[in-house]
Order: sequence, then structure tokens, then C-alpha cells
Amino acid sequence: QTKWNLPAAYPADNPHSENLIAFAKDVEAATSGKLQITVHPGASLFKAPDIKRAVVTGQAQMGEVLLSIHENEDPLFGVDVVPFLATSFPDAMKLYQASKPAIAKKLDAQGLKLLFVVPWAPQGVYVNKPLATIEDMKGLKWRAYNVGTARIGELVGAQSVTIQAAELPQALATGVVNSFMSSGGTGYDAKAWESLKYFYDVQAWIPKDYTFVNKAAFDALDKPTQEAILKAAATAETRGWKAWQDKSTWYLDQLKAKGMNVEPPSPALKAGFQKIGEQLTADWLKKAGADGQAIVDAYKKM
Amino acid sequence: MANLGMIELSFILLGVMILLLGSGIWIAVSLGLVGFVAMALTTSLPLGAVLATTTWSASASWTLAALPLFIWMGEILFRTKLSEEMFRGLSPWVQWLPGRLTHVNVIGCGIFAAVSGSSAATCATIGKIALPELDKRGYDKGLSLGSLAGSGTLGLLIPPSIPMVVYAVTANVSVLQVFLGGFLPGVLVMVLYSGYIIIWSLLNPSKIPPRDPPMPFRQKLRESSKLVPCLLLIFAVFLSLVLGFATATECAAWGVTGALLLAWWSGTLTRKNFLESIMSATRLTCMIMLILAGAAYTTAAMAYTGIPAALATWVQGQQLTPGMLALYLSVMYIILGCLIDGISMIVLTAVIVLPMVKQAGLDLVWFGVYLIIHVEMAQITPPVGFNLFVLQNMSGRDTFTVARAAFPFFVLLLASVFIITEYPEIVMFLPKLAFPD
Amino acid sequence: MLRRALDLLYLGAGYAAGIFLVAIFAIMMVMSVGRQFAINIPAGDDFASWCMAAMAFLGLAHTFKRGEMIRVGLLLERLHGRTKQIAEIVALGIATAFILYFTRYAVQMTYDSWRFNDVAQGVVALPLWIPQLGFAGGLAILSIALIDEMVNVVVGNRPSYELGSPDETPDEFIERISQGGGG
Ligand code: NA
Ligand code: NA
Repeated sequence: QTKWNLPAAYPADNPHSENLIAFAKDVEAATSGKLQITVHPGASLFKAPDIKRAVVTGQAQMGEVLLSIHENEDPLFGVDVVPFLATSFPDAMKLYQASKPAIAKKLDAQGLKLLFVVPWAPQGVYVNKPLATIEDMKGLKWRAYNVGTARIGELVGAQSVTIQAAELPQALATGVVNSFMSSGGTGYDAKAWESLKYFYDVQAWIPKDYTFVNKAAFDALDKPTQEAILKAAATAETRGWKAWQDKSTWYLDQLKAKGMNVEPPSPALKAGFQKIGEQLTADWLKKAGADGQAIVDAYKKM
Repeated sequence: MANLGMIELSFILLGVMILLLGSGIWIAVSLGLVGFVAMALTTSLPLGAVLATTTWSASASWTLAALPLFIWMGEILFRTKLSEEMFRGLSPWVQWLPGRLTHVNVIGCGIFAAVSGSSAATCATIGKIALPELDKRGYDKGLSLGSLAGSGTLGLLIPPSIPMVVYAVTANVSVLQVFLGGFLPGVLVMVLYSGYIIIWSLLNPSKIPPRDPPMPFRQKLRESSKLVPCLLLIFAVFLSLVLGFATATECAAWGVTGALLLAWWSGTLTRKNFLESIMSATRLTCMIMLILAGAAYTTAAMAYTGIPAALATWVQGQQLTPGMLALYLSVMYIILGCLIDGISMIVLTAVIVLPMVKQAGLDLVWFGVYLIIHVEMAQITPPVGFNLFVLQNMSGRDTFTVARAAFPFFVLLLASVFIITEYPEIVMFLPKLAFPD
Repeated sequence: MLRRALDLLYLGAGYAAGIFLVAIFAIMMVMSVGRQFAINIPAGDDFASWCMAAMAFLGLAHTFKRGEMIRVGLLLERLHGRTKQIAEIVALGIATAFILYFTRYAVQMTYDSWRFNDVAQGVVALPLWIPQLGFAGGLAILSIALIDEMVNVVVGNRPSYELGSPDETPDEFIERISQGGGG
């Protein structure tokens, strides 16, 4: 009997964590308990930034992480968060298929085997006032938490504010921040409606969580167990994509029910974002080079 | 070794911990070694790598950065004599109460808790002021140490509070609601503490020194005007938070700024005082941080062993009413609270406890306050209790001596848990007032 | 000569820790006040976190030498003479072994960060080995301080972490604390 640990960053009732727990159960059932995977959700074993490194160095055998947080390490890891490249679930799936070989190869070089990938809800803009055009974003106190959001803030002329995720609800309540970009789910979790009244469903990008396994640990298993894992992984991927499509509508309904104005962007606002998107895609392509261009080309052909 | 039973393992670890602590190994090292033994017995993972990752990750923390600043603020205030003036401002008004100046511990900590998000910092700041003063006047050491240890924990219950933020994020509830929920229970705990001090003093009249010479009302007011700078500082920090100038963490920096301004204004901000305050705050922080690092490693090791999860699952298996559930959880949290730090306690158990709590129909804001009171208890139970460490460091008394002195206040915290379980409105009144849905 | 150099090392690292405390304060104030004037420190939260870690570990040796690292003294306080010396050597030996082990892996992690080109995930992609130097370095200095102390106790001296003058009473200790020296 083998026991594995799977550190995950999000709370136990987050659909990602629920999916991982179901995955662990599937594996246990398929191997008749020969491989037991303990999921450690809510960053209770390792925090999000440390999970990949922990699996690489064998501190845990498996891990799940929002891969785009590692975009500083390798621009390819940031392919999911290039604004307006893939803005719907079908597109996100295509982008995933287009980028999978390159990313799996990168992970493989670090000693990781990619198992499955599950999306989050599309990203929109939470803000304290109505936005007719992109110019209305000038002067907003905009939460910048990674290279992409900092650059968006810079391009729209907003004032970038550095706030940790844990302090976001309080920062919203006291007006330290009055706008940020995130998914319907994050705003729901942060109870954004208590301070901000508008959510623009601009669907800027769809970030994804990647679940991987330490290659050496995987190779040490017998063939049937390996196959059980791969089969459960495929099931988890399908289940995860389905769950998030349902969930993202549900989140938006919840925001509406709590009194937020949930709206699609006006054509003018959308055009403004598209222009920024082009700029940021160009930025990204410059960093990601030929590999990045190949992914985008493959994606556009799909 | 993988088949080692959970119960055997728990006893082995407890034994190792007691042995190490007993033989005078530094507490941070003992904690780290217990984590090491736990992992070595249950996993074949790289222990050293986990040690490095978890300790680095726990120390390089934005929210923790408030801790040294609040400690520094206390060190500055201490050197300005402002702390003494605060003491003198409060003391004329509590002379008539049985227990006299001991109440200054409770009220002082209560006031300071309104700017500090940490229990250890509250305890250290007020302790620096009150311990020598009470000692000089010959107050009972047990009572002054115990009331300080207990009152210091108010730093967690009266907002702002670092563990409340951690809980709110973990449980997916509004931070502000949990903050508001903690306020009245904070007042309740202060009343319980003061009530206990009064009763104890009536029972032990010989152990309370005579009152200071009586003072005409005007002079009392004049003495209390010395409180104004302190209250102004607290008000300014509070305002920086409410008006959106600062986050909960940054308001610690505002506290330091305020303290520096007051020191400059009162003419006590000498170069020597300034440098000493920095080095003193640095050493106290380093001491606490190494323990926190050891605790972070042990927490990770425990997550690997599955002991905390097993404990929580066992509670879940008992088919309980909400009241009984709260009781069982109390037992679990008190045991865990002896061994691990409060934030780890919240994070480690949330996985299994929160769904269970929801299922039992308990309100998550209420549960947050309930949990924070247990975190408060954890600060004053040995062998791992941060207020005990702070007071051990400040008073030169042993951890267990301080813990024994703090025991009545531990019981009072437990009583407050029973009270808020019986009357949940005490917690829910303010959150419902602000968020009427 | 060596004595002087070692003491200077502990104190110097302690001062460095103090400087990082001031840096945390400065970063937070600039972040907070700066918001009112549209000034932002990119990744200010990351920089404050790194200062926090550097401070926590660089000050350890100084804190240890000053006797402010706490332990349960219940048993040790009752021992005298040769037994006490042996007990101290055992405690120091275990602590030294653990901290050396800790240091070894902290250095390994820092080296790996450099080798794998691990960078920060926020707005500023700083290579992580830079802030981790304070972590690994602080632990290395603590290791040296522990070995130094071990030698000191083995040759029969009183441990230097046993505070100030040899016959300090508890009241004097509190007095010293209240004058601000002792944390
Ligand atoms: Na507080
Ligand atoms: Na405790």
C-alpha cells in the first residue's frame, strides 16, 4: 500500500478541491486501496507558491496549482492569463489543447508529469462605479497582484495598489481598493457586493489549475496503478470543466441576487479592453518567443 | 513504521515533546524536533526539504510583519514614559475596586487590543508597562501575571485581529462581520476577568496592597488627561484603518509612526532610546519567530501524519446536537491549542470542522468568534502558548509558573465560550446590525 | 581576536535584523501614505515579507547570546556544578545538531532557488535566492553561535546566555527589562 500527499491551495468547499477529493477516491477505488492519496486543501500543507517546488523536490508526490502564478519563471506558464486570447470555455479548451504539449514538456523537464487541467470562471472587472468606456477606469484604485494586472492598471491609467488576497475584503470595505479583476467566484468569496456595486463580465481570460505528479514517484508505481491514475485524471478533467461551466453561471446569479449590477461590457468598453488585450498579447509574445508564437498559431487554427 | 497507530503515534510525540522541553532544549528547537520525529515515523519524504520550505514560507509573511511593528510600537511607548502615564491615568479610577491596579491590566489590554491584531504584542506592550509597576507596589505576582496573560489574548478577540482574518478567508465569510462579532464578546471577557479579580481580592484581602493615597476629583482628571495622547494614538490608528488609509497590517506601521511622534513631542525620543527600542523589538520578534517557524514545521508534519484530521473525524462520527458539537470541538481545540499555534489550529482543522459546523446549522460568523476564543486559550496553555513565552521572557518566571497563574483566566475564557454558545446574540448583534440580511 | 570577531558577527547580524525592521516600517508607510498620492511600491507586500524573514533569522544569534531565546528551565534551574554542566552540554548538543541540520537544508533550498532560477510570483520577478540569503545566513550564524557556546560550556565556563551578572536576582532582571535592555 502506498500513501501519497496532494497539497492544494484552495478551501475544501472550492470546486477544485472537491474535484481533487473525488479524484483521490476514484484512484483508491480503482486500485482497491493500494494507492491512497490524501488531499490537503486550503494550503494546509503548502501554500500556493510553494506547491510546485514541493512536488519537484519530492516533499509531496502530487500537487495542484494555478500555473499562471509561475509566469515570472517561464512566460509559457502564463499563457492562460494573456488577456482576451481565450474568453469562453470552448476557446479555453482549445487554448489548453494547443498549449498542452509545450507546457507538459516544460513540466517534464522539471521532473513533473502533467495529469489534468481544470479551468476557473472567466475574469471580469469589479468596480465601484459604472464604466461606459475604458477612460472611466482612469484614477481607479486598482488591485495589481501580478505582472498582467499591474500592466492593465498602467495602460488604463489606474492607480496600482498592492494588496494581499487575504486583505482584499477589508481593503474593499474601507476603500483602499475600489476596483480589481477577478472571477465571479473570487468576488463571491470576498463578498464584493458589500462594497462594490458593478461587475463587468468582460471575460478577459480563463485561468487554469494544473494537477501534476512527481515523475519519479509515478514511475515507481506498477503499471495497473499508473493506468488507474491516468484514467481517474481524465475523468477528473471532464468533471472539472463541466463543474466550472455550471459554477460560473451560478456565481454570476449569486452576485446578481446579492444586489450587484452584473453586466456585459458596453461595445465601447469592450473595444477599449480589446485594444489593451492586443498590447498585452504582444507583450507576452515578446517574452514567450517562438514557443509562444507556435501555441498562439496552433490555437488560432483550431 | 507506516502501520503505527494514530493513538500510539500521538503518545510518542507527546512524550518526545515533554522530554525535550523538560531537558531544557530551547522551545523552538523542541517543536522542530517533534515535527522531525513525527515525519520520520510516518513518511519517507525528504524531511530537511520540508523543514526549509515550511519555515521559509511561514516567515516570509506580509501579515506577520505587523507583529514586530506592534512590538516596536510598544517598545517606543515604553521608553517615552507614556506607558507609565497611561498606567497613572487609568489607576486612579480603579483604586476603589477590589483588586485595584490589577484591573489596569484588563482595561489596558482591552484598549490596546483595539489597535493590535496580535495577542503576544498586546501582552508584551501592556506587560512592559504594568508588570514592573504592579511589582513595585507589591501586588500578588500570580494575579498580575495571570491577568496579563489572559488579558493579552484580547488582542485577538477585539478587532483588528490577524487570526480572524485567517479564519474569515478560510471559512469564506466576511472579515468585517467576524471583526464586528468579536467586539461584544471582547467586552464580555473583560467583564469576566474584572469580576474574577474582584472576587479573588475579596477572598484574599491580605494579598492586595493598600490603595494609593486618595486623590481629589480634579487631580484624578488631571492624571487621566495623561491618557489623552494614548487614546489619540489609538483613535488615529483606528481612523487610518476605517478611512482606508491603511490595511489591517499597515495600521501597525501607523502605530509606530504615532508612537514616534508622541515620543518626539514629549522630548523622550533620544538617539539611545530609539536604537534600543529597535534592538529590543528585534530580539523579541526573533525569539517568537523561531518558535513560529518550529510550529510551522510541526504543523506540516502533523498534516502528513493525519493526526489533526483523525481527531476531527472522530468528533464528526459522534452524531451530535450543535451544543454537544461545540462542546466536543472545545475539547479538541483545547488539546490542539496546547501543542500548536492558533493560526495553524484554524488552518489545520478547517478542512473537516467547517463542513460539519455548517451541517449542524451553526452560523459561520459565530463559529469564527467561538474559534478565536479557543485560539485565545491556546495562547495561555502550556507547553506552547505565546503569551506564556512573552511573559516568561519579561518576568523571568518559568512557562509553567506563568501558565498556572493564567489558569483561572483560561477557565474564564471557557466560561465565555459557554455564554456565547447559550446566548449567540452576544456575537451576532453587531454583525446583524451592520449587515441586516 | 577570534572572540572579538565572533561577537562582532553576532552583533552585526543583529543590527542588520534591526535595519530590516525599520525597512518593514518604511515600506508599509510608503505603501499606505503613497496611496493617497498615487504612489505605489510594486510588490511592496513581497518586499515587506522578505524583510520580515531576513529580520527573523539574522537576529537569531544575537538573541540567543543575549539569553532571550526561551526554554523550560524547570529542571535545569535545580541542577548545580558538574551535573548542570553536563545537562547544558546535552541541551546545547541537541540544539546544535538540529540547527546545523536546519542550516544545511536552508542553504540547500537557497542554492536550489538559484539553480532552478526560482523567481518571485508577484509584480517584481526578483530571484528568490536573494531574499533567502538572509534566511540561510541567519541560521548559519546561529549555528556558529551554538558551536561557540558549546566550546564555552565544555571548557567549564558559565553559558553566556545565562544573562548579565552572575548573581542577578529576579527583581534586578525585571528592573533591567523595564529599563528596556532585555526585551
Ligand atoms: Na485586536
Ligand atoms: Na497553548
